[in-house]
Amino acid sequence: MNIIKCTLALGAALGLAACEDFSVRELGPDKTVDRGIDKKDLSQLQAGIWVDPNGCDHWIIDDGVEGYLSARLDPYGKPVCSGVAPPTQTVGDFKGGATGIFGDPI
Amino acid sequence: MRLVTVFGAAAIALTALTQSAAAQTPSQQGRDGGQYIPTIWVDPDGCEHWVMDDGVEGYMTPHVNRKGIPVCRRGNMCGVMNSDQFFATNSARISSHGKQRLAQFFQETNATSYIITGHTDSRASDAYNLNLSLRRANAVAAVAQASGARIADVRGYGERLPVASNGTSAGMAKNRRVEIICIR
Repeated sequence: MNIIKCTLALGAALGLAACEDFSVRELGPDKTVDRGIDKKDLSQLQAGIWVDPNGCDHWIIDDGVEGYLSARLDPYGKPVCSGVAPPTQTVGDFKGGATGIFGDPI
Repeated sequence: MRLVTVFGAAAIALTALTQSAAAQTPSQQGRDGGQYIPTIWVDPDGCEHWVMDDGVEGYMTPHVNRKGIPVCRRGNMCGVMNSDQFFATNSARISSHGKQRLAQFFQETNATSYIITGHTDSRASDAYNLNLSLRRANAVAAVAQASGARIADVRGYGERLPVASNGTSAGMAKNRRVEIICIR
């Protein structure tokens, strides 16, 4: 059921039979796993750094269809503004979970 | 036994009531009933984040306690200087030998940048200690910068974040410190 919906939706959109994580289905309350082709527990996400316009660091993850962003904090709870890159720049490889289909385009 | 059953039924009824009361927008009317159970992702610093995958959407936010302090499995604290070895009482001046040791530390560590925080014991006033700890942290940061290190922040927390009891002289000595956090 889910797969059919999924394939139909994606097939219509891109003319492709593959389906990474196109969840037209509705999930239950458990949001702790990635159920796509590269299915995995979310603890395995690979992050890079995105520097915000104030110069402070955030963890950035492109996991294919899902994107994640979360503040980098020091042990006192203050933002880490490391200067590792200029504002709005990213550092590191954070597209480990993305595939050819759902890499950059979405 | 009977009582437990009645209690259980009452609890279920209450839960159902709460859920139906909460289902006021379409966001609570799906299969998840508006409930989003997260898991934990640990960042490269060792600190936890709440993370959820809702099918096509992903969500993430830092896991902090109710005081705003991040929950971490390990820290990126990479050096704690015992103030007694670097500063005279009430002074923020570092001896030339101390400066040499510090410069060597920063050159060998070679992190992206550093956060330097000064701390004191609880003798003297809070305001005095805030000032003294900041001057000491700044003195350490100056040595770091002179040896080519990048400083992300310098702070003085005074006596407000003790790591040991101020009731003993050994505890007070432990509280007199400058902490160096290495950002990699």
